[in-house]
Amino acid sequence: MSKVQVEGKTYQMPPQDGFTVAHFITVADVERSARFYEKVFGGRILTTGNNEGAPGFIEIANTWLIVYFGGGPTPDKPTVTLSVPADPDTVSSFMNIRVADIHACYELWRSRGAEFLTEPKDKYGETRCYIRDPDGYIIEVGQSKPDLAYG
Amino acid sequence: MSDLKSTTGQVKVKEKSYQMPPQDGFTVAAFITVADIERSLRFYEKVFDGRVVSRGDKEGAPGYIEIANTWLIVNVGGGPTPDKPTVTLSVPPDPDKVSSFMNFRVADIQACYTLWRSRGAEFITQPIKKYGETRCYIRDPDGYIIEVGQSDPGVTYG
Repeated sequence: MSKVQVEGKTYQMPPQDGFTVAHFITVADVERSARFYEKVFGGRILTTGNNEGAPGFIEIANTWLIVYFGGGPTPDKPTVTLSVPADPDTVSSFMNIRVADIHACYELWRSRGAEFLTEPKDKYGETRCYIRDPDGYIIEVGQSKPDLAYG
Repeated sequence: MSDLKSTTGQVKVKEKSYQMPPQDGFTVAAFITVADIERSLRFYEKVFDGRVVSRGDKEGAPGYIEIANTWLIVNVGGGPTPDKPTVTLSVPPDPDKVSSFMNFRVADIQACYTLWRSRGAEFITQPIKKYGETRCYIRDPDGYIIEVGQSDPGVTYG
């Protein structure tokens, strides 16, 4: 079992009660993605899955990333097809990593092979930059200004 | 199934607790582009007992909702911006072509299906048994799918 503590409460994977939120991305190569998230973010690979439908699971900080090949439709989503991003510049959702020290994260993650779109840039309320993962997903990396009570 | 069992008993319980904003290290959230911040906040608050931390503002601050072990960040589309000069954010142009989604792992899928449905969640189908788990999907107000899944007993993760 895998578990994390968030604001004093413990969340487990799989959950023993209630629910635990993970993030799923469709990937071209489960092993490649698992290694990327392990190496760059210190993620812990729980499984690299198999070809019978079991996805890869990586524990990253307070959550889990679930990675698997595209396909479908399936009986539980009869109109939906999963694929890696068709156009990596047209985006609707992404993982958003909030950090305590963005310059330290930028240097460390870059040294581990992460490709950043730009260096950290100052904007309204925060400093921010983006990583491209091996399938072209963007990952936001952001540090809020000191007086912000969230984010 | 050997892969599923190979991780048994290897987990060390962590002492670290995550918070938002993080005081050290990092905390992972999910971002979705939405048409209406307030509508999305109300949906995730009502269906999943999310806690709205910020309702955002017109100057670009997003809405924040704490949900279980993570945070959902919602904002309207736009861009490009200086920190992503080639990227444009929009609500899903085709809700049936999907690359990534939030995945809610649950302890009792029938209970979650009944409760969340009673609170207004639209499920694509009822829970359906498949390899290693029982699963169904919700459509959120912008057309995003949310997976709801319960692993079979004996699976050590997921």
